[in-house]
Amino acid sequence: MMRSLWIAKTGMDAMQNNVDVISHNLANVATNGYKRERPIFDDLLYQNLRQPGGATSQTTSLPTGLQLGTGVRTVATARIFEQGSLQNTEGQLDLAINGVGFFQITQPDGTTAYTRDGSFQLDNQGNVVTAEGEALSPAIQVPAGTTSVSVGKDGTVTAIVNNVASAPVTLGVIQLATFINPAGLQAIGDNLYLETNASGAPTAGQPGTNGLGAVNQGYVETSNVNVTEELVNMIQAQRAYEINSRAVTTSDQMLQKLESM
Amino acid sequence: MDRLIYVAMTGAKQSMQRQATISSNLANAATPGFRADLDTFRAVPVLGEGAQTRAFVVAQTTGADLSPGVIQSTGRDMDAAINGDGWFTVQTGSGEAYTRNGGFEIDASGLLKTRSGLVVMGENGPITVPDNTRISFGSDGTISGTPLDNPSATTDLGRLKLVNPAGTDVYKGTDGLFRMRDGSAAQTDENVEVAPDALENSNVNAVDELVNMISSQRHYDMQVQLIQSADTNARSVASIIQFSS
Repeated sequence: MMRSLWIAKTGMDAMQNNVDVISHNLANVATNGYKRERPIFDDLLYQNLRQPGGATSQTTSLPTGLQLGTGVRTVATARIFEQGSLQNTEGQLDLAINGVGFFQITQPDGTTAYTRDGSFQLDNQGNVVTAEGEALSPAIQVPAGTTSVSVGKDGTVTAIVNNVASAPVTLGVIQLATFINPAGLQAIGDNLYLETNASGAPTAGQPGTNGLGAVNQGYVETSNVNVTEELVNMIQAQRAYEINSRAVTTSDQMLQKLESM
Repeated sequence: MDRLIYVAMTGAKQSMQRQATISSNLANAATPGFRADLDTFRAVPVLGEGAQTRAFVVAQTTGADLSPGVIQSTGRDMDAAINGDGWFTVQTGSGEAYTRNGGFEIDASGLLKTRSGLVVMGENGPITVPDNTRISFGSDGTISGTPLDNPSATTDLGRLKLVNPAGTDVYKGTDGLFRMRDGSAAQTDENVEVAPDALENSNVNAVDELVNMISSQRHYDMQVQLIQSADTNARSVASIIQFSS
């Protein structure tokens, strides 16, 4: 029918995706450990309708050709792993990573997922689990009669059992994982990420060593969504959407003109 | 049938092509590093016997608008924008190509790539980032890597190949990347300036494009009007020479 109709449609699609991503970021403005996303746009292929140098007559040739772009696509959403701010909660099992690294979580099917959300709880066995009930890995079990748990910056978990303050019991060490390309992790919801080919294999280590972040007890890491930035992006996306819909209207009016000839 | 109808037809048809270019520019109003396409109309005289009285019109894209877009800080250490003139260099299947889009990624083996998966070229070939390293771009395109476990041991990972050929020497290919017209590889330019942690927006000017869109629409309307006039003329002529029954 008309090229510009479809091209403008790709523009509207892309801006629709843009608003989708912005809405998702804003919806998660209060999600612990959430990392914001940015949509990335790429221009689509170009078509050479007339090759430069083509003949226009027996004696003349085109000095420049006609090359038409075919629009835009959303090529990726880039996750920005900027540190969120640490908010003091005084919760004994609220842990926040200051620096790089992910907590490792054992999923019900036995595979490992990764998260930045360190607001842990205890289940009925005394295991340290996420709010969804999935166990921290390596597993940490708090014995019965524990009066307080403390987590060191290096991830060492100790407990005072039966009020014997002089002999704290070491329960284990929390390990963190890093990836060469965290942006390549796949988000699966529930604040969890999965390893992919793009992220590379995880390297596990003790917090505070080898450049891994330190674990802070009594803090949660807030989402790194910047509301002001998202709102500005939203205004921009909305206007770009309207401009593209204007191009659709214009193309439609041109076709109408043709039809009423 | 008068030739007017064909002349007006080329006008209407080329306005539609122009509308496609404008739509493509508007669709890419938010594509980082995008360069708007420019197009013009050209008169093509109709050659033949007798006096040259007519010219058809042909739309053509004369290239891309190379003026810089707005640089927007993203806070991501793998983003880079070029401040002023110049290009980043990427490797494609058909030799080197140039882009203004500096949203880089590293793949699982640590190779620096663009988001569309093309390898970014340094002055001495592709750039590899070691494990557990945070990179930062210097204003001259040097890339330094800071190991996370030893922040004092910053190493030099190389320097981006930045080029600055004249605007007339590059053209936009069908993949949206720019290449040298003569097929050569552009020389490195020492003076290209990089803005770290930022991306350059598209240089599409929405006001310009909207005005162009309206003017192109009106131009089209006018051509259609001419076709209708030609039709009316032909109809009058036909009615004059009709045998009255």
